[in-house]
Amino acid sequence: MAKEKKRKAAEEAVDGDDYIEREDKNPKKQKLILASQIKNKEKRSAVYAKLKHEKRVEKRKKIKARDAASKQALELGEEPPEKMVPRTIENTRELDETVCRPDDEELFAGNDADEFSAVLKQQTAPKVLITTCRFNSSRGPAFIKELLSVIPNAQYYKRGTYELKKIVEYAKNKEFTSIIVVHTNRREPDALLLIGLPDGPTAHFRLSNLVLRKDIKNHGNPTSHEPELVLNNFTTRLGHRVGRMIQSLFPQVPNFRGRRVVTFHNQRDFIFFRHHRYVFEVKEKKEGLKDKKSKASQGKTEKKAIARLQECGPRFTLKLVSLQHGTFDTKGGEFEWVHKADMDTSRRRFFI
Amino acid sequence: MPRTSTVESPGCPPLRALTTDSLGLIKVVEVRGKGGGTPQVVETWGPPDASRSVLATSYADRKKDPVLAVARKNGLIEFLNPLKGDVLTTIKASESGSTDQSASANDLLVGLHFFKSKQEDSSSMLGTLLTCTEKGKVCIRSVGRSDAPSDQSIDSPNEWSVTNGGQVLCSSLDPSENYALFGGKHVELNLWDLNSSKKIWAAKPPRPNNLGISIPTWFTASTFLCKDDHRKIVAGTNQHQVRLYDITSQRRAVISIDFRESPIKAVREDTDGHTVYVGTAIGDLASFDMRTGKMVGCYKGKCCGSIRSIAKHPGLPLIASCGLDSYLRIWDTNKRQLLSAVFLKQHLTSVVIDSHFTAQELEGTKPEEPTSQSEVRDQSDQGGNCDEERSRKSKKKRKDAAGKKEKKMKMHDEEQISGIEDPAEKDWIDELPISKRKNHSKKRGEKQLD
Repeated sequence: MAKEKKRKAAEEAVDGDDYIEREDKNPKKQKLILASQIKNKEKRSAVYAKLKHEKRVEKRKKIKARDAASKQALELGEEPPEKMVPRTIENTRELDETVCRPDDEELFAGNDADEFSAVLKQQTAPKVLITTCRFNSSRGPAFIKELLSVIPNAQYYKRGTYELKKIVEYAKNKEFTSIIVVHTNRREPDALLLIGLPDGPTAHFRLSNLVLRKDIKNHGNPTSHEPELVLNNFTTRLGHRVGRMIQSLFPQVPNFRGRRVVTFHNQRDFIFFRHHRYVFEVKEKKEGLKDKKSKASQGKTEKKAIARLQECGPRFTLKLVSLQHGTFDTKGGEFEWVHKADMDTSRRRFFI
Repeated sequence: MPRTSTVESPGCPPLRALTTDSLGLIKVVEVRGKGGGTPQVVETWGPPDASRSVLATSYADRKKDPVLAVARKNGLIEFLNPLKGDVLTTIKASESGSTDQSASANDLLVGLHFFKSKQEDSSSMLGTLLTCTEKGKVCIRSVGRSDAPSDQSIDSPNEWSVTNGGQVLCSSLDPSENYALFGGKHVELNLWDLNSSKKIWAAKPPRPNNLGISIPTWFTASTFLCKDDHRKIVAGTNQHQVRLYDITSQRRAVISIDFRESPIKAVREDTDGHTVYVGTAIGDLASFDMRTGKMVGCYKGKCCGSIRSIAKHPGLPLIASCGLDSYLRIWDTNKRQLLSAVFLKQHLTSVVIDSHFTAQELEGTKPEEPTSQSEVRDQSDQGGNCDEERSRKSKKKRKDAAGKKEKKMKMHDEEQISGIEDPAEKDWIDELPISKRKNHSKKRGEKQLD
């Protein structure tokens, strides 16, 4: 790859990116040398600094020209030149045929028929059982304490030596609607198993990047009001199903006065969890601060309502490993979706 | 390094497949155009309703009067005409002879087999049906048409129980339709003679290993190996084993193959009598040669959900697989390559292939109804039913049906007599590795002139 780069750069070395032209004995031959090829550190750093400076000057020129062009166009009343949108992976995501469409009757029928509809239609209140793997240490208990404060109507039971299949049975008897199992690996919570009851799907997530409340600067303390739930970007069918599963953990009647919001944001198949308290404030913005000379413009004050967020609660990311049809049974159960290595054929393809 | 551009999969030959799913919908997927078409959902039958979830299907793949039998979760068995989608008749699964209503209410149907060959009086009788429930109640009964006079005498259904305890999970009917096979959780494989209603063979579990541990019996899929031989049976277990049984030699498995780590959910035999296609609960599809017991190869194609059903095309080297990841995938068996995949939005329970579908029939209909077809396709892609379009299309089909049937029969006879494959299909097989044929419209034009 580096060789290609060099070759390509050699072809378009007109702008002089990283190359310096050195006049050789034979004026016809011009050798193009990368700044990194110079062995002498002082000389090399000098050359590189010069190149960097040149680049920065170029960039500033371009920006100035662009701004001037748009300002001119605005003054003239024409349309400003098109703003260049950077190409991101989300922009260039592969067209996915499994994306949910708003006019899909089958989707709504499927939603009515799926395992979460009882909770989501508020026929049953969600009741969550949180437990852990057999050996739980260090950050595990702290994380579970925080989870208990995030999810209303959640109870923690110690794992003991019960088999997970038995735990599922006991939970069904006690009328729980879902089980969360926090799995710890090397004294760090590593995986989250979400089991819907009575015969709901089992989602296995890999947990990473956990930041506990005490490690967040200026954190807030959550209240016990029912939180609002924000689920972003669960576009595909699989994402929709996972989104509904997460939704079934929380009660469907959020208490807006509590000003507490829990966010599950999906981006590139990673689900980011955040927990905030928000407050609306009315700020008075003074107009025309740039023009200091005229006092007449100081009279204008515009009131803008803005929301300030204070983060509370843990912060972690989840990645779906597998979604299994039925309650926990890895060996004998059927999988609806499982991540396989030969699915990662494209950098622009995501499943949730 | 993962690629940044899309790769198009090679297309399929003309094909028609029907899939059923857990919302009770029956979707018809067709591939049109020779050598490289993409499958598209042409029709969707039935309202989406979870209580009408399809548990088992049976397809009588006949030229004349094909019937698709569908067993639903609410206890009804529907018989549909697979060409148009209209329901011919509906019967209750727990009919006649069941005294204990409460017990049969929870007893779901596991196996459904429609007898293709036995067709005595086609005007009033639709045919004979074999049903098997989870608790082991097997019933053979004859099904009358809905428009038949009610005072016609229907033969009394033949009922018997296959197992005492345990749960029947799989059943299979041999192609000569004299023998039936049942197996399940704690139910060893049983082979019954249908004419005499007697169990002629039962399997024996494998010997406990050197530690004395024996694996509990749990058969999840089974099939007969050859179409003219009822003596060889292939079964898949929950413990990821594929076993070959031979009735004439012994009661224990002759060959037992371990395949990966998930339960075997679907087994289908090939027409050559020695290859089987096996699908697991995690989405692995592989084919095995049962003469040696070796795996021929795996089918790689991003299948990430449990494979519920596999169907083999009787003529072409094609298999279709469907499952819980809501995709219908069509594979080439010679190269083990994925030809195409269709997203069908629901958890699919079974797939059947209509082998009497040819592109030539389409060419007759194409100039007559180009607009309605494309409209139907667009709307059914969005997932909605359009009754008007369907009825319009079916009316037209009914009009041409008489003329078309003659054409089909002639062509089919010709094929059988000459013994060579349709030249169009040969072209497709030859051209598959080279390139996708894009100028097939030329050929179609030529045919229309003829």
